[in-house]
Amino acid sequence: MTIHHHPPDELLTAFAAGTLDLGQHIAVATHLLTCPHCRSMVRAMEQIGGTVLTRLPPAEMSPGALAAVEARVGGRAPDDAAIPARHFTGFRDIPGLPSFVRRYPDSSWKWIAPKVHMRPIGLPEPGATRVFLLRSKPGTKMIDHTHTGFEMTCVLSGSFAHEGGHFGPGDFDLGDGSVDHDVRIDSTEDCICLVAMQGDLKLHGVIGRLLQPLIRM
Amino acid sequence: MRGDREAFAMLFEHFAPRIKTFMQRSGADERSADELAQETLLAVWSKAKLFDPKSAGAAAWIFTIARNLRIDGLRRRKRTPTQDTAEVDLEFQVDEGPQPDAALAASELETRVRSALSVLPEDQLRVIELSFFEEKAHAEIAEKLRIPLGTVKSRLRLAMNRLRGLLGDLS
Ligand SMILES: [Zn+2]
Repeated sequence: MTIHHHPPDELLTAFAAGTLDLGQHIAVATHLLTCPHCRSMVRAMEQIGGTVLTRLPPAEMSPGALAAVEARVGGRAPDDAAIPARHFTGFRDIPGLPSFVRRYPDSSWKWIAPKVHMRPIGLPEPGATRVFLLRSKPGTKMIDHTHTGFEMTCVLSGSFAHEGGHFGPGDFDLGDGSVDHDVRIDSTEDCICLVAMQGDLKLHGVIGRLLQPLIRM
Repeated sequence: MRGDREAFAMLFEHFAPRIKTFMQRSGADERSADELAQETLLAVWSKAKLFDPKSAGAAAWIFTIARNLRIDGLRRRKRTPTQDTAEVDLEFQVDEGPQPDAALAASELETRVRSALSVLPEDQLRVIELSFFEEKAHAEIAEKLRIPLGTVKSRLRLAMNRLRGLLGDLS
């Protein structure tokens, strides 16, 4: 698997700093699963996090803070409690998702447009970013659309192309409100993507306006 | 065991006050920053056996614990506190991809990052620092450092390129 499109550095930094919302975090994590290069970039940023932490000026801790922690520590066993594996059972038919995503509520595919289905991923966090899977048949030309916020796409299987290049499994595509997407599915199999989206999708044209309420989820 | 306690006290004295600053700069009030700093050191103690000095520097490891607790703390403020802290830890476990990081020995990574940072000019490090911890938009960083926005962006890009260059041949 050769990856050609990576998240921009600012996004990887924000991932490592922990400042992304859960939806954005999932989109980047999905890319990281297939991309050792970006994984090392994130780990490098975590190293920097450590360095920067030690460079921060110390604040004064409340009196007795150390004693309070030592008291709580007393006799406490190492905390290696992992969440049981039985929770990781969602989206069985979808390879390439980070395992923590498999704990979120799954749902069935919903028709949203000819040859295009959508399947929401139920996030435990009511954040600004929605996450869903998008499955498109070969040859589909996605309806011309813009969005009011940003959109992150990570390809899970199949491929698509637009003005910005060709995107196969593992590739990450970042769109902001300024880009008009004219997407064409160019794989012989279905193309399944994970999409994290902020804002509303705006479809152009008469049919687009009819579809609008369906897509808004 | 007594040695462990003494070492822990030293670790606490060094890191807790800095983690408190980190939490405050991330928007926590004085009291919750203090609590989160204590929680972080408590987690450091509990998870000490999981710390692999070959895989990360201690400061970086402690940073990730503080980061995850900060995220957890933010979530707890937004809704009922039923959340398990391990939840956030899981969200950062993305290393089990089909393509292993074989090319990248962690200790080697740390050494390289450290040397990259040591040659990074102070102004570039400052820009990274601010973008890292304070969720500062570039415009705010520019204002804080009293430099033009374009300069912030170019410093950040310079710093990141340097880092990419140093990591590039590893992966
Ligand atoms: Zn990548």
